[in-house]
Amino acid sequence: MENAVLHAAAGEVPTIVRSLVQRFGDHAFVPQVTADGIPTLWLEPRFLQAVIRYLRQEIERPYSLLFDLTAIDERVRWHRDGQPDGAFTVVYHLLSLERNEDLRLKVSLPENEPSLPTITPVCPAANWYEREVWDMFGIRFEGHPNLRRILMPPTWQGHPLRKDHPARATEMEPFRLPEEVQEREQEALRFVPEEWGMQRQSEDTDFLFLNLGPNHPSVHGVFRIALQLDGEEIVDAVPDIGYHHRGAEKMGERQSWHTYIPYTDRVDYLGGSLNNLPYVMAVEKLAGIEVPERAQVIRVMISELYRIASHLLFYGTFAQDVGQMSPIFYMFIDREKVFEIIESITGARMHSSFFRIGGVAMDLPEGWDHRIREFIAYFPRRLDEYDRMVMANKLIQRRTCGVGAYTTAEAIEWGVTGAGLRATGLAWDYRKARPYSGYQNFEFDIPVGRNGDCYDRCAVRVEEMRQSLRIIEQCVEHMPEGPYKAYHPLTTPPPKERTMHDIETLIQHFLNVSWGPVIPAGEACMTVEATKGLNAYYLISDGGTMSYRTRIRTPSFPHLQMIPVMSRGMMIADLIAILASIDFVMADVDR
Amino acid sequence: MSSVDVPSPNLGPLVLYFALVLLVVGIMLGASYLLGEHRTRRTWATDLPFESGIVPAGTPLIRFSVRFYLVAIFFVIFDVETVFIFAWAIAFRESGWPGYIEILIFIAILIAALVYLWGIGALDWQTPRQRAAAKIAWPDFPLRTTYRQTDT
Amino acid sequence: MKRWTLSRAGQDPAPQPGQPTYQEAIRRNFLFARLDDLVRWGRKNSIWPFNFGLSCCYVEMATAFTSRFDIARFGSEVIRASPRQADLMVISGTVFRKMAPVVKQLYDQLLEPKWIISMGSCANSGGMYDIYSVVQGVDKFLPVDVYVPGCPPRPEALLEGLLLLQEAVGKEKRPLSWVIGPEGIEKPPPISRRDAKLPERSRATELRDPFRLE
Repeated sequence: MENAVLHAAAGEVPTIVRSLVQRFGDHAFVPQVTADGIPTLWLEPRFLQAVIRYLRQEIERPYSLLFDLTAIDERVRWHRDGQPDGAFTVVYHLLSLERNEDLRLKVSLPENEPSLPTITPVCPAANWYEREVWDMFGIRFEGHPNLRRILMPPTWQGHPLRKDHPARATEMEPFRLPEEVQEREQEALRFVPEEWGMQRQSEDTDFLFLNLGPNHPSVHGVFRIALQLDGEEIVDAVPDIGYHHRGAEKMGERQSWHTYIPYTDRVDYLGGSLNNLPYVMAVEKLAGIEVPERAQVIRVMISELYRIASHLLFYGTFAQDVGQMSPIFYMFIDREKVFEIIESITGARMHSSFFRIGGVAMDLPEGWDHRIREFIAYFPRRLDEYDRMVMANKLIQRRTCGVGAYTTAEAIEWGVTGAGLRATGLAWDYRKARPYSGYQNFEFDIPVGRNGDCYDRCAVRVEEMRQSLRIIEQCVEHMPEGPYKAYHPLTTPPPKERTMHDIETLIQHFLNVSWGPVIPAGEACMTVEATKGLNAYYLISDGGTMSYRTRIRTPSFPHLQMIPVMSRGMMIADLIAILASIDFVMADVDR
Repeated sequence: MSSVDVPSPNLGPLVLYFALVLLVVGIMLGASYLLGEHRTRRTWATDLPFESGIVPAGTPLIRFSVRFYLVAIFFVIFDVETVFIFAWAIAFRESGWPGYIEILIFIAILIAALVYLWGIGALDWQTPRQRAAAKIAWPDFPLRTTYRQTDT
Repeated sequence: MKRWTLSRAGQDPAPQPGQPTYQEAIRRNFLFARLDDLVRWGRKNSIWPFNFGLSCCYVEMATAFTSRFDIARFGSEVIRASPRQADLMVISGTVFRKMAPVVKQLYDQLLEPKWIISMGSCANSGGMYDIYSVVQGVDKFLPVDVYVPGCPPRPEALLEGLLLLQEAVGKEKRPLSWVIGPEGIEKPPPISRRDAKLPERSRATELRDPFRLE
């Protein structure tokens, strides 16, 4: 008799589901169909560690990358047919790079004192993710080495992403900072080495504990690393995040599908509209909207322009952190040129929020390609000049070659994606592996490094800039004609020309913009190759005008987890070079 | 060795110089004491050492690693050597060949000490991990341009 | 409406003609007024910013430091990483609840004279982030001198804010020394730029067509 799991799965059963059923039995899993087609299986907590170990270590072409670990508060959700009852759901999203496939595991938990065994023994990258789930939802992980808050201040009461926690600051008490409160908060933030298992002294020497604190020029944002130093050598480092937590995920539950788009811009604030892309793609997946070709090419063009801008800033700050003061000024001039182009098309520089559900905000203006053609002619020479100035400089090479090196296996173990993974030698780019938004029609290469050190990470991004320029050139040469928005009722807002013409479209426009489009119930997770790595939006719709749960999987979160691994035994100067080469943005880490 | 007449010291300018130095320093300290406002808006945080905006994680009053002591001692030794060489250099005509040979022996002994220190790695500040990292070859991988090492 | 106050005649601090205090007061006011002006002029043209940035506005602040917008031509040549050596703290970006005590600590560690520019909507009022982890404006716990609106404000907007601050600093009254003159800072009242610019903006009738680039 065919088992129920294989029956219930829609369409062709993925091989991994077959293997899992074969190994653990039919009754261990309950399948779920999601709008994005990722195999999703519900399982019981007692199988969790074994299944994760099986997937990551025992099978061939394993699902070794922990893509995401998050939770959902299901208590006020309506559309849950076929899913196990439970107040909380913890979601494990694994990715196999060799198979190029995802797998999603879900565990259902009761409302009273929800807890799960930790998977950190089999998956070290889960450490920070589990801390975040504890912080945001109050779900305990038994056996976690150090389960403490990660995003909220240590003195915070409550778990923000639960449905009964207030969302607005205006719903809570007004914020005051008298001196006692300041002292108390600062004391709570004080780094206590014993809490992290650190010794205060070794046999011959005492260790110096130092805050490479929230306010430091080299940490690129509000980020704190507590260092345990022996002289100048780093014995251990503890990164401390959460100083940039803006509650973007909770904001998604309060903003309509359309008005949330500006919030996505500000998650990776160097990436601009490139961050809109996974979000609108996920909404379009839920709504079943097909984006026309012209809109796709416009999206690709704007995304690649933002990728160049972000990489230029990375390049400049990398050179500056390692010691060269001038290149950043030249690179910011180039960034200005990119911003001029973007401003002429979208109207804004950094946060343009240009993409809409179903297409882009407006059509390209007349004469849009003049500036871009000038830029295409101007930029390669500048990159060559920077090669001579920065990459060929002996000091830069001496300070960054071999520093912070890791192998591909280590990178995947810790969840590193993007240029950090390609620098180790693995040619994996989401634009080539699972082309989206028309990337399959473009010709471009994937630059790959060799040693996985700081120099390679920088070199890969430099080459990516050249490839992005190539893509932009193809966009300019072959921009298709056609509509810039899909003709679909859930396209928000509908094309303006029809709005002024038909009353139905006008009503639709009014409702969609004021109340919000009503996206059908379902779940979808869409990933893009963002500037820093893989950025995914996992949206759960309950059939309303607002998202039920917006999960933002950001690339920089796992990158920072790897800092102690990369920097133990190095000196502080190397740590600065490592931080510069990771290319993270704190809003990307803390959301 | 011939005896040389040492000129009698003229201490007047030296005393004047000393007095002027005291005056300038006094003006600098006094002016900065008098000028500006007394910081009446002091809080508990104003006098804390600046550690990136957070209360300090550790105290600086710890036992230092002995490496720092070693470097200080090496400095003292080689600095005092330099002082002796200066002292010889001033009287080098008067001390003649014997003095030259004596100073050569002196320098040779210290060079032997330097070679010994260099050999046992007392001047090497790299950590083991850094040494391993430095072994990675110079960048030479297939990107579209080859990076030539230029002197900048 | 005028407000009337009564003061005791015997304690009237105004100098009276014919008394030695009057001449002394005149001499003091003339000399030190010139010196005061000189110091104020020097102070306003060399406001050194503190290397402090929270969020996306910091990127636009950094852009203002680079060559095209060049904050150095206004005297803010040197960016200091230590609060003891900086004059100006630009709160560029969202003020998070976890970060608020850190910001206050840094503000306390800044030495007089110090000024605060609140840059961006998030620092002005919480911006579009009315959320549990964001303080609704940095003026909830810090005294702000200039507010620069925008999300993020263009680098030119930040430079305009800096120029306004320089104007205000040029009119501030701080004592030269605690030996002479009363303690305390007198700042000029803040003015709304929106009201000041309204007449000029109302005259703009021809707007550029956004769909046609030249």
